[in-house]
Amino acid sequence: MEKLCDYFFIYFCPNLMICKNLFIGIAISNKLYIFFFSLLLPSRRVERAMDTLIAQLQRRFCDFTISLYHQGFLDDQFTELKKLQDECSPDFVAEVVTLFFEDCEKLISNMARALDQTGNVDFKLVGSSVHQLKGSSSSVGAKRVKGLCVTLKECCDSQNYEGCVRCLQQVDIEYKTLKAKLQDLFNLEQQIVQAGGRIPQVDI
Amino acid sequence: MTMEQEIEVLDQFPVGMRVLAVDDDQTCLRILQTLLQRCQYHVTTTNQAQTALELLRENKNKFDLVISDVDMPDMDGFKLLELVGLEMDLPVIMLSAHSDPKYVMKGVKHGACDYLLKPVRIEELKNIWQHVVRKSKLKKNKSNVSNGSGNCDKANRKRKEQYEEEEEEERGNDNDDPTAQKKPRVLWTHELHNKFLAAVDHLGVERAVPKKILDLMNVDKLTRENVASHLQKFRVALKKVSDDAIQQANRAAIDSHFMQMNSQKGLGGFYHHHRGIPVGSGQFHGGTTMMRHYSSNRNLGRLNSLGAGMFQPVSSSFPRNHNDGGNILQGLPLEELQINNNINRAFPSFTSQQNSPMVAPSNLLLLEGNPQSSSLPSNPGFSPHFEISKRLEHWSNAALSTNIPQSDVHSKPDTLEWNAFCDSASPLVNPNLDTNPASLCRNTGFGSTNAAQTDFFYPLQMNQQPANNSGPVTEAQLFRSSNPNEGLLMGQQKLQSGLMASDAGSLDDIVNSLMTQEQSQSDFSEGDWDLDGLAHSEHAYEKLHFPFSLSA
Repeated sequence: MEKLCDYFFIYFCPNLMICKNLFIGIAISNKLYIFFFSLLLPSRRVERAMDTLIAQLQRRFCDFTISLYHQGFLDDQFTELKKLQDECSPDFVAEVVTLFFEDCEKLISNMARALDQTGNVDFKLVGSSVHQLKGSSSSVGAKRVKGLCVTLKECCDSQNYEGCVRCLQQVDIEYKTLKAKLQDLFNLEQQIVQAGGRIPQVDI
Repeated sequence: MTMEQEIEVLDQFPVGMRVLAVDDDQTCLRILQTLLQRCQYHVTTTNQAQTALELLRENKNKFDLVISDVDMPDMDGFKLLELVGLEMDLPVIMLSAHSDPKYVMKGVKHGACDYLLKPVRIEELKNIWQHVVRKSKLKKNKSNVSNGSGNCDKANRKRKEQYEEEEEEERGNDNDDPTAQKKPRVLWTHELHNKFLAAVDHLGVERAVPKKILDLMNVDKLTRENVASHLQKFRVALKKVSDDAIQQANRAAIDSHFMQMNSQKGLGGFYHHHRGIPVGSGQFHGGTTMMRHYSSNRNLGRLNSLGAGMFQPVSSSFPRNHNDGGNILQGLPLEELQINNNINRAFPSFTSQQNSPMVAPSNLLLLEGNPQSSSLPSNPGFSPHFEISKRLEHWSNAALSTNIPQSDVHSKPDTLEWNAFCDSASPLVNPNLDTNPASLCRNTGFGSTNAAQTDFFYPLQMNQQPANNSGPVTEAQLFRSSNPNEGLLMGQQKLQSGLMASDAGSLDDIVNSLMTQEQSQSDFSEGDWDLDGLAHSEHAYEKLHFPFSLSA
């Protein structure tokens, strides 16, 4: 199959040879019809097809990003982080959110453990953990997580065990949801880059 | 450095400034690192405070600025702040997700140059270089002055030093000394004394030897002899404090004295007392310190974090934590009596030194209000006893906040703290005036007990309405009746800057007053308040500072 593709590429679209593999990759994974299309059409049309693909991806990316902000998953701080990303640190945002999710996991498990000690719950520990989580979530721009941390902190201060447990569960759900969504977002970004496109600046 | 040189430095400054960032949260640390790098600073990061200290100790000149988180597992951010300020004298910026003013205040008191809230924005970081420049300028000025560059400098320094020092007793002597000195004296400025205190605290009062203190302080041009004599005075003061705490004063004598004072001073006396400033004492400067001391005593519970004490002149020990004071006070009714006694006892000696009527430091005295009434309401005590009991700790932790110039206290005996307080920050005071008593009450926990309130307001009431000796004074009454300016007199201006930091009032007031105080150092050398006679804890407290007001 690949050999066949190579032959067709060489014959029909010599100028596309360099992105052949990418193209094939994308074609095979996403849009097989484009591949076949490209086989039959002159190179200009193939390029336009590619552009369409990129444009589509970019549009999806923008829509998705905007929805994340509107749904309250992300806030301005995330925008700031994106601004800090550049050629020198191309994966900055990905790095930071990875660290953030690691922290989330660690802190949530600490708190869960503390709350498990029924009858002898160390609310101070829970309080300090949630404080730290609040700090990191606000630095990353994880708006919903931060809001839940505030609630959790209040429950902690008033030593409301039930409230704490409930809040903690919500925090857990929330951070996992955010993690999945951001993963989707990064995947989209990667696809755009692979298609040869540029990641668009999204104005919220 | 000349202006040109400074400007040159400034040009290069923001770029390449070496920052040490400390935060246990890896997410925030990573973000902070990138932000700082974006500002073109040279960043070193660590998530352990201990590592940070080691890095700093290894080479003090390796970094220009330290940014540290507040909540760290291995060491409290404030403690790190103190140590850095003490050992390396670098500007430190605190970083925290706590937006509670309490924490900000704590940071300020511990000597932080700035306090940033998380999430940190790049705009805020772009400006942090100003702290480095400011600090280096201050250092330059300080070294110029302490080299005896000019009489006026000396005078200013003296004043500053004096009101930083908590001991007022030797004020007069101190004032004379500079002129009489035959060789360059080391002026124990606020910063120096803070370092000294921190070093002593670090080593422990018993084990503190001049050589070690000197090493720890790490100040140029300070000799072992300077430190030794300073330490000697310190020890004497400490001893005095502990002695005072044990003795029982003659309350009646004090009361009568006090009454006389009060009749003129009105509220002032009370407030003085309340703040631990000897009212009517000629040498008032101790008052400020007392005041500071006082408040800090009250907040002893919180003092631990202060560790080596206040470092920077910036914050007075005052606002330590009024809330704590309340708690503490409530538990110490018995001690009040002792304090009263102490005060009484102090009086004779005090008056012997003073021409003015004695300082009626004890709040208890004030509380008693009328001369006739010998009943001392069981005031939870404005903390005089509290002070006494904690004095030693307090003293070593006493913030020689520069903000409270002792000179201000110098104003006549009649100048009550309250007066000073009122006057000093007139913009501050006026609005605060009414609130202060209330806040005082609240903050000191007086509100929690009627008696306390009574006590607190009693003198006020008394002063205002001599006939009314009885019963608790309601706050409202207090406010209405109290006219701080009424009996507050003389030298208010002097006290102004100094006394602003009375522990009454909110922390904000105090901070504000402190700020303004800093500017009005000129009043400093005014009168000599001789606190010798103050056996009261506050007095003793002041005495503690006395030796230190002398140049070493």
